[in-house]
Amino acid sequence: MPEAPWPAALLENGPDEMVSGHGDIRAHWRGVVGVIGSLGRPAVAERGQRLTRAMLEEGVASILPGAAGGGAWRLDPVPLPLEPREFEALAEGIAQRARLLDAVLADLYGAQETLAAGLLPAPLVFGSPAFLRAARRGMSAPHRPLLHLYAVDLVRGTDGRWAVLQDRTGTASGLGQLLENRRLLGSAMPEAMRTMLPRAITPFFDLWQEALSRLAPRHKPDPAVALLSPGTSDAHWFEHVVLSRELGCALVEPGDLTVRGGALYLKTLVGLQPVDVVLSRLNANGLDPLDQPDSHAAGGVPGILDAARHGALTLLNAPGASLAEMPALPAFLPALSARLLGEALLLPSLPTHWLRANEAPPPLPEGHAAWAFRPAGDGLAPEAWAPTPGLPQAAIALPPLPVAPALEEGRLNPVPLVLRMFAISDGVNWHVLPGGLARHVSAGTRLTGRLPGAGWCKDVWVPADPGEAIIGPAAQSAPPLAIRRTPAAIPSRVADNLFWLGRYVERLDRGARLLRATIARLRRGGLSPRELAELSALTLCLREAALVDDEARVSAGSLTPLAEALMRGARPGVRDLHRRIGGLIEAVRDRLTADMHATFTQTLRAAEEALAAPLPDLQDLGRALIPSLRFANAVAGVAAENMVRGGARLFLELGRRMERAQAVAGEVAVALDGPPARIEAGLRLVLELCDSVITYRSRYLGVLQPAPALDLVLADGANPRGLAFQLQAIADALGEVSADPDDPGAAEAERLLAIAEDFTPRLLAARDQAQEAALLPPELRRMAQDLATLSDVVSRRYFALLPPARAVGVDMGEAAVIEA
Amino acid sequence: MIYSLRHRTAYAYAQPVDLAAHLLHLKPRALPGQKVISARLTCLPAPDHHTETHDHFGNPATRLFLAAPHTSFEVEAESLVDVCFAPPPPPEATPPWEAVAAAAEGVETADFLPPTRLIPPLAAATEYARPSFPPGSAVLAGLLDLNARIRRDFTFQAGVTSITTPIAEVMRTRRGVCQDFTQVMLAGMRGLGLPGRYVSGYIRTRPPPGQARRRGADQSHAWVSAWMGAGLGWVGLDPTNGIVVRDEHVVLAWGRDFADVSPLRGVLLGGGEHRLTVSVDLESLEDALPAR
Repeated sequence: MPEAPWPAALLENGPDEMVSGHGDIRAHWRGVVGVIGSLGRPAVAERGQRLTRAMLEEGVASILPGAAGGGAWRLDPVPLPLEPREFEALAEGIAQRARLLDAVLADLYGAQETLAAGLLPAPLVFGSPAFLRAARRGMSAPHRPLLHLYAVDLVRGTDGRWAVLQDRTGTASGLGQLLENRRLLGSAMPEAMRTMLPRAITPFFDLWQEALSRLAPRHKPDPAVALLSPGTSDAHWFEHVVLSRELGCALVEPGDLTVRGGALYLKTLVGLQPVDVVLSRLNANGLDPLDQPDSHAAGGVPGILDAARHGALTLLNAPGASLAEMPALPAFLPALSARLLGEALLLPSLPTHWLRANEAPPPLPEGHAAWAFRPAGDGLAPEAWAPTPGLPQAAIALPPLPVAPALEEGRLNPVPLVLRMFAISDGVNWHVLPGGLARHVSAGTRLTGRLPGAGWCKDVWVPADPGEAIIGPAAQSAPPLAIRRTPAAIPSRVADNLFWLGRYVERLDRGARLLRATIARLRRGGLSPRELAELSALTLCLREAALVDDEARVSAGSLTPLAEALMRGARPGVRDLHRRIGGLIEAVRDRLTADMHATFTQTLRAAEEALAAPLPDLQDLGRALIPSLRFANAVAGVAAENMVRGGARLFLELGRRMERAQAVAGEVAVALDGPPARIEAGLRLVLELCDSVITYRSRYLGVLQPAPALDLVLADGANPRGLAFQLQAIADALGEVSADPDDPGAAEAERLLAIAEDFTPRLLAARDQAQEAALLPPELRRMAQDLATLSDVVSRRYFALLPPARAVGVDMGEAAVIEA
Repeated sequence: MIYSLRHRTAYAYAQPVDLAAHLLHLKPRALPGQKVISARLTCLPAPDHHTETHDHFGNPATRLFLAAPHTSFEVEAESLVDVCFAPPPPPEATPPWEAVAAAAEGVETADFLPPTRLIPPLAAATEYARPSFPPGSAVLAGLLDLNARIRRDFTFQAGVTSITTPIAEVMRTRRGVCQDFTQVMLAGMRGLGLPGRYVSGYIRTRPPPGQARRRGADQSHAWVSAWMGAGLGWVGLDPTNGIVVRDEHVVLAWGRDFADVSPLRGVLLGGGEHRLTVSVDLESLEDALPAR
């Protein structure tokens, strides 16, 4: 079906936020206008570009190669000021509306008296995909509040007052973006900030954090709070990272949680830790495969709804709360407000009609631009401009959208917008955030439904009223926390991701080194037999690392097959590593500080860009690998300097050491695998690959012998690029994780270390060191094997990802066994 | 009629199940016309945690959680139920079906009209049902006619369908078991605007004296509960046997479709392949007593 055209009248002649009907700049805009005037248009344009760059480079929405999601939000340098008195009135209306929607939800998931009384049509509620029957409590009253976080999209009604375009009561998005907007705009437009003094938004988040603790079941003190996210594939993943950090709670995914004995637990390295409050960002229909037969068994947490039902945990918003997003609900809110609150509705909705299937809308009320049609019960569906035949609809009369100036191609133009505001409940009071997210709308942008993952927006400021009291969280007496220094609380999944991040970063580092060593020799030309032997060994290592295909080989006659294989395979191989690493960085993002994340993403993006550019020859390829090496070094440096010892760093470290140990053992085995007479080529290569040439030279000058060279790369525990160092680090890390002096994993690493350390005395005692060295490859290969096994053991023991859940049921058709 | 009910379900798993959660609709629902004298569930191994609630439809629901590894799981539901549903009014005394459809927006009925995943709108089912409802005809007359036609036109055959078989296919092949016929009848009724519930329960194992053995005995059974209008309420109709529900059925639970009321459904971690054994015995106490 072709999409009906966007009604142009929506974007024309909307009320101007900045200029009054008499052509005067409104008072609350004068500060902004003054700052823009004094900066001058070019400077404002430059600030706009700086903002865009900042969003891309350090913004939480910046996208890494391999990370899901697409695009980022763009922030306009011109904020949208709200007149302080208008904000106060709006805040009162928003708080009342939130109370009303909470009361409506409590009734619909409880006694359903509003349906019996005919205040709300039963077919609308029962026909809504958001009505979660599993959350219905029959005649017993549900736990309040059902609504905890509420967002509302607003436009100006034809009377000039703000009116509701849609309510968001499910998983209202946008607060992460709002935080980010405020931070970035503060640094891009400091003059405006100083002039306008917008009310701070941080108290709202402090209140929110406190509210979450207050809402714990049975007023449990010091409750464990978690933000439940679908994971990195979600378009709003970055928001989940930002919010979990801002609210100081754990960021978890469904697979991290399990219900035992009627309570909810988080799977961590040291066992199950109880969770009391869950701020869920999951679609309620996918929350619990036990209670929701239509949901996918592999997602969700089996039993979580039952645990919440029996008061073992607080789920926020309550499952099924998105029911209050039904597009046709506003048609009934005035009557519901009178009945449930005994109050007149303060914040009006746009004129809304509930249309039965195939019922035509009434004439468009005066001053409005178009009817928008939405499925009557489905708040996630965006609007259409013609009714869908055969389905109950909500018809919403849209006025022309309000406009405010925004920077477009260096000029300030009036742009239509929709304002989103937020409120939270602490169980007693509603608190409205003094600010918001204003989304720019152009023809084709959807107005309703889910907040898109990208777009163009403004930060919304409420200029401070002089003499206004500073609000902050009420002092809450919390019992002192027990001091924890163990890595205990890391979810198993996070540890697993860190481990693999460590492995892949090291793999990237090794791969880039191998490639550069190979390219350097190929470019030299006129190679000696020794150099050819080195090249063959390198080729084998590259094949092992899957950076060249099996066509790559070295013959005295021609190096062309190797060169061609490099041009063919190296780039996709390395870019694949970038992609995996990018995905893992996103997945562990809540464990990284903003600076660490920025360092990782900027250097990784540079590495990826270098390889994405055209690379006509090997020299270009070699040069393009330098940023990848720089990235790997940055990760190692940042991890060493900025991560707390133990905890997250331990697993990153474990992954890196495990990968490096395997690589060193494997590469030395390849390099030594040749006739004893050629041993020198192998030793030279081994020193080069282990970045140990300078150390060797300073110790032994120019004399190259097997025992000292192999001692340095295999047995010397002080060489951070050598095998023994890695094995010692693995043993230490495993001992620290398990806190068990006899940890079997640590013991295995110690055993391998003893073998490595024994190589030096063996070589020294041998009559012919080269002969003895030629015996090492099989032993080294076995060691690489044992390390791979150890890695699996560690994975199973600590990361223990359970097999995916599946559903079973009794089928009517199944043969019954009749008992005699 | 007093029945003794025994429903035993046993899972045998190829590998140990690490963690299991089961949702059961296995305790008969108390109703006017159905008195639950006793109801008991026995599980092996015993669950680590269990809860009892009433669901949105008012059905008793039991949830069992097993946290210790196990290779088999057995549930036995036993109950004693006294059943005697009131006879329906004379068909000609019921309102025209169009009036019933027009009055179906109330809270009692509105849940049993919208499409569900298992009973989507199906023109073939609506058109099949339509001849039973000539314009202006009494609703119960049409419902009884539809109930009898399904019994006549559809072949009862176990094993050709499963819970995943779409009703469109059942309409085409005209084969299936009780749940298929029930969902086809509901699709037809709902297509005409007539509310209908999916009822899960049992039918007596031994037929009344002198009658043929009922279809769907010795296992979970399903039928339709149809609305006759505000004053008259609901009537049970069993399209698998073409009969009105009076005293041969025991109601466990009702919902919009099978998914709302499946007797036993679980989510497992681990377990591999599983084998399932089900046995149902619905014995009238009169039959159980020695002949006098």
